[in-house]
Amino acid sequence: MSGVLRIVIAEDAAIMRDGLTQTLTRRGHDVVAAVGDGDALREAVDAHRPDVAIIDVRMPPTHTDEGLRAAQAIRRDHPGVGVLVFSQYIETQSAAELLAGSAEGVGYLLKDRVADVGDFIDAINRVAAGGTVLDPEVVRHLLRASRRTDALGVLTPREREVLSLVAQGRSNTAIAVEFTISPRVVEKHVASIFAKLGLEQSGNDNRRVLAAIKYLES
Amino acid sequence: MVAWLRGHPWQADTLLAAALFLLSLGQVPTGQADVRLEVIVVTAALAATVIPRRRFPVAAFAAGAAIGAAQIAFGLQYGRVAPVLALEPRATDLAIAVLLYTLAAHASRKVSIAGLVSCLIGASVAVLRWSPSHGPHSWALVFDALAGLGGAALTAWVLGDSVAYRYRRAYYISLEERAARLEAERDAQARIAAAAERASELQERRARAVDESAARLRRIERDLHDGAQVRLTALALTLGEVKENLEAAASGPDDADRVAALVGAAHRNAKEILTELRDLARGIHPPVLDRGLRAALAALAEASPIPVLVSGVAPPRLSPAIEAIAYFCAAELLANAAKHSAAGQVTIGLADRQGSLLMTVTDDGAGGASLVPGGGLAGLLERAQTVDGRLDIDSPPGGPTVIAIDLPGHA
Repeated sequence: MSGVLRIVIAEDAAIMRDGLTQTLTRRGHDVVAAVGDGDALREAVDAHRPDVAIIDVRMPPTHTDEGLRAAQAIRRDHPGVGVLVFSQYIETQSAAELLAGSAEGVGYLLKDRVADVGDFIDAINRVAAGGTVLDPEVVRHLLRASRRTDALGVLTPREREVLSLVAQGRSNTAIAVEFTISPRVVEKHVASIFAKLGLEQSGNDNRRVLAAIKYLES
Repeated sequence: MVAWLRGHPWQADTLLAAALFLLSLGQVPTGQADVRLEVIVVTAALAATVIPRRRFPVAAFAAGAAIGAAQIAFGLQYGRVAPVLALEPRATDLAIAVLLYTLAAHASRKVSIAGLVSCLIGASVAVLRWSPSHGPHSWALVFDALAGLGGAALTAWVLGDSVAYRYRRAYYISLEERAARLEAERDAQARIAAAAERASELQERRARAVDESAARLRRIERDLHDGAQVRLTALALTLGEVKENLEAAASGPDDADRVAALVGAAHRNAKEILTELRDLARGIHPPVLDRGLRAALAALAEASPIPVLVSGVAPPRLSPAIEAIAYFCAAELLANAAKHSAAGQVTIGLADRQGSLLMTVTDDGAGGASLVPGGGLAGLLERAQTVDGRLDIDSPPGGPTVIAIDLPGHA
């Protein structure tokens, strides 16, 4: 899909750090730094200006949300650096904080997703390209917890599936491949969903992710 | 009428004084008007002494006795001196008996006896001075008069004194009751204070137990997160790679080597996960405890780098929670001994103290162990306290170190 990516990995468990480095290196990417805590991560990003930083949420010293804080700082200081945040647990609150402002070049995934190596590499590529990647789990939480049940009730089952993928940051093309339908049909579905929910259509994939998430959250 | 008199002592005593005064009116001599007046005045004064008798028993008696003494001194025939007519003894002198009765009833025993004695002396002197001193029957008469007057005084005193006795008795009884009531109140207060103290102590312990269990859960979660979960993720990553490699169309010899290496890594990883999970589970509940505390301690002893001797017998029916606390304490103390004490021998002693467990862990190491807030021993103490247990440390510099842990049979 895209060329060689320059990547920084921040993950405190050595076994995961090494596994990720090996997997990415084997695919021809350049892991310019692999660090174990938030401070080292920010130094590495300052020094290398990578295409993507892959960040574990829980790192020393407090083992709470250092990764999330560091990711937000990187997004503020280096808007060009894609940020893919990994977590053992999914919290919609963390996702919301991460996406605050812009959804450009941001990803939030459950750590388990690395097992599907292809999807994982795809997610890195999308974030590096300035896209949005939101874990299906987050979107499911949002859909389940949303108070807009009435409005969501008017969507057809297929439209709900499409909304879920839109919220995950998938492009129309990707959605079309997923459902083996033509991109034009996807476009129609999306237009219908946005009309039914009273949202403004946007050609920009990232903006429509934000719109969808904001809608589900409110 | 009687009830009214009881309720109005001043009026009653005034009536009594009037009656006493009236008794003597028949004895007022006819003749000189000034003598009559003096007699009436003296009689009235004597009668009046009974009016304040209840309020001022001693003063009233003193007044009555003074008039009586004046009568003896000046109102009776005595040799050459002519008696003062106004001071002749009369029926109103009954007032002195009334006053003596009042004195006995209201004043202290000492005072009332003094009053009785003075009355008896006064009666004797009066009789001796009054009676005819000659004649065959005169001594018999004197004796009769003495017996009469003395008996009257004595009777008045005895009656008054028995009333006083009843008063005092009632007073003592009320005092005793009051003391008993106060005692009971003090007991109740002490019990309440003790209960309150116990309640706050329990509350503190409960809070500590809750904190401790929360901290343990956090530790377990952290262990899972940093250990098994991370390893499983890495394992999944490796297996994902294996899968992709196998799916790849061109599975040349190079790829076969790669797959073999990846599977080898995954295999190693899976075994390490098993070990880690086993250790973690053992930290939550050591399975060896299922075979009893003694067996669990024996297993600890085998695993210890320092020789450990387990002796004694634990109470037969300890609850699982108590066994677990004893086990974890022993494990921590053995680890401490191995780390810090440089001991050559550790002894774990078990004893049955009427159903509660006394476990002593003794090492012959360097000693100097102490309770530091937040330290390992403090943690053990808190663990023991959650079930009302105790932990005592005896560890002089140079050793030996004896840690005694006292735990109830049941949590």
